[in-house]
Amino acid sequence: MVNYRSSLAALAIAGLVSGCASSGVRNPSGVPVTQMRPDEQGFVAGTGIESQDLVAVTDKMARSILGIPQIANAQGAPYIVLDPVQNDTRFPINKDIFLSRIEAQLNQKAAGKVIFLARDRMAALEHERQLKQSGQVTASADPNVTEFKGADYFLTGKLEGMTTRTGAGTSDYVLYSFELIDARTSAIVWMDSAEIKKQGLEDAAYR
Amino acid sequence: MTGCVTRTTIVPLTGNIMVDGPMMITNGPPRDKVLWEYRTAAAAMRRGEFQLAKQYLDDALLTLGGISTDKSARLARSYFHPESTKAFIGEPYERVMAYYYRGILYWMDGEPDNARACFRSAAIQDADAENHEYSADYVLLDYLDGLATTKLAGDGSDAFKRAEKEARQAKPPPYDAGANVLFFLEFGLGPFKYATGQYREELRFSIRPSPVHSAEVEVDGQNIPAGPYDDLYFQATTRGGRVMDHILANKAVFKTSTDVAGNVGIIGGAVAAVQRDRTSQEVGLGLIAAGVLSKIVSAATMPAADTRTWDNLPRYLSFAAIQLPPGQHAATIEFRDAAGNILPHLTKTVAFNVPSDGKDKVVFVSDRSSTPQTL
Repeated sequence: MVNYRSSLAALAIAGLVSGCASSGVRNPSGVPVTQMRPDEQGFVAGTGIESQDLVAVTDKMARSILGIPQIANAQGAPYIVLDPVQNDTRFPINKDIFLSRIEAQLNQKAAGKVIFLARDRMAALEHERQLKQSGQVTASADPNVTEFKGADYFLTGKLEGMTTRTGAGTSDYVLYSFELIDARTSAIVWMDSAEIKKQGLEDAAYR
Repeated sequence: MTGCVTRTTIVPLTGNIMVDGPMMITNGPPRDKVLWEYRTAAAAMRRGEFQLAKQYLDDALLTLGGISTDKSARLARSYFHPESTKAFIGEPYERVMAYYYRGILYWMDGEPDNARACFRSAAIQDADAENHEYSADYVLLDYLDGLATTKLAGDGSDAFKRAEKEARQAKPPPYDAGANVLFFLEFGLGPFKYATGQYREELRFSIRPSPVHSAEVEVDGQNIPAGPYDDLYFQATTRGGRVMDHILANKAVFKTSTDVAGNVGIIGGAVAAVQRDRTSQEVGLGLIAAGVLSKIVSAATMPAADTRTWDNLPRYLSFAAIQLPPGQHAATIEFRDAAGNILPHLTKTVAFNVPSDGKDKVVFVSDRSSTPQTL
């Protein structure tokens, strides 16, 4: 019994001594990333641009475009060309993906109200036209008549960011703004934006 | 204690990074995957295998770009695992270089805005230095941020002013928005890590001697000097202490304390155990047992710092830009020592085609690049 007690005492002393080693590191486990939106919170892998942001932003933009008079009350479906978005954030992204999803959403939800022109396929289209003009392939209409449509509007956007990184963590704010530009007048007939802020703190082992 | 032993896979290395890298990425310890991706990507860039470099860097940046709170990091903080248990993402200067290389590759692909994004992310990696004077102080990252902005019809003047202010060695030239051929140059041998302290718990950086101190690009009869804008050794050694350094120091104190407590227990117990009194003998044996236990705990404590190093980085980063007409050109890149003498065995030649679509031609050259190269 005495032996047991003395062992416990020795262990307690060792524990006390070793306890002196800890001087305390703040948030040693890190703080999981939190999406700083007023209506929702979620756990994500980074503070950058992620798929849930893409979905939320493009859904909002597609709904917003459909409501403007130039689209809703247009005499005939206007032709729209996508112009690549500008990335002014610190996150390298696939810039086409935002406009591709807006295009898909508009085509899905408002088929016929707008028509997108495949300008990114012009090289292939022109090659096909040349083949028709030279008689190498058949044509259902006169290939010498220009039927490539001109754009009524350009849909484009810009991603801008602001970053803070300190010992307390990393904070990233991204402003997504999109606009519809009248190709004839250069007037911006529609503009909308969405903003997302995220913060996180990585594990102390990486700080 | 034997239950804590982790089995490790030993993969034999050949010394050829283009063989070892892919092998270690596939078969090596997962915690070293990013390290080998970094090394292989740098080697691939010097061989002109830019698609391969892109593939490795993209995968590495998936890990680096997140907020790391994984289990391996928790283990690395624990008393009984070394720091090198954590998945490697590198010290800030290594993380910076991963983004920097990826930025060069984006620019090469005609995406200066994504290149700029990488340079900005690189700068952020260096933003939380303990000594604020040295936070985000890479000259080239700000200079290239501003150059990309200028080329994208924006205002890069603020970034240029930051770059000028941060320049400690060569001063970057004013932007030439018409310059359509961009030379990204690097030379010298990068920093390596070692550990000091009783238990090798203190992370330190050192440098291997390298004769190269500057470079010069000769193309179409024009000579463009390219001084060292950034020094990775300077960057590695001016950040101040890490949070992890405090954790390792605590581990070292714990290791010492439990060792001392063990010695006290064993010696005190031995003294008591030789007494004739039966009670003293029992107490003595108990103390010896506790002492041995404490010694075992001490022996199992691992305060060693992580010295895994991205070991094929350069020391100096440089850059030059020039305006050239579309078509074929050949450039000669000469590297010079501290006295300005050419080191002829390091001279590189690169043949490249300047596109007629207005996009920039990006040429990456290291003093360790293979030569000649055709881009």
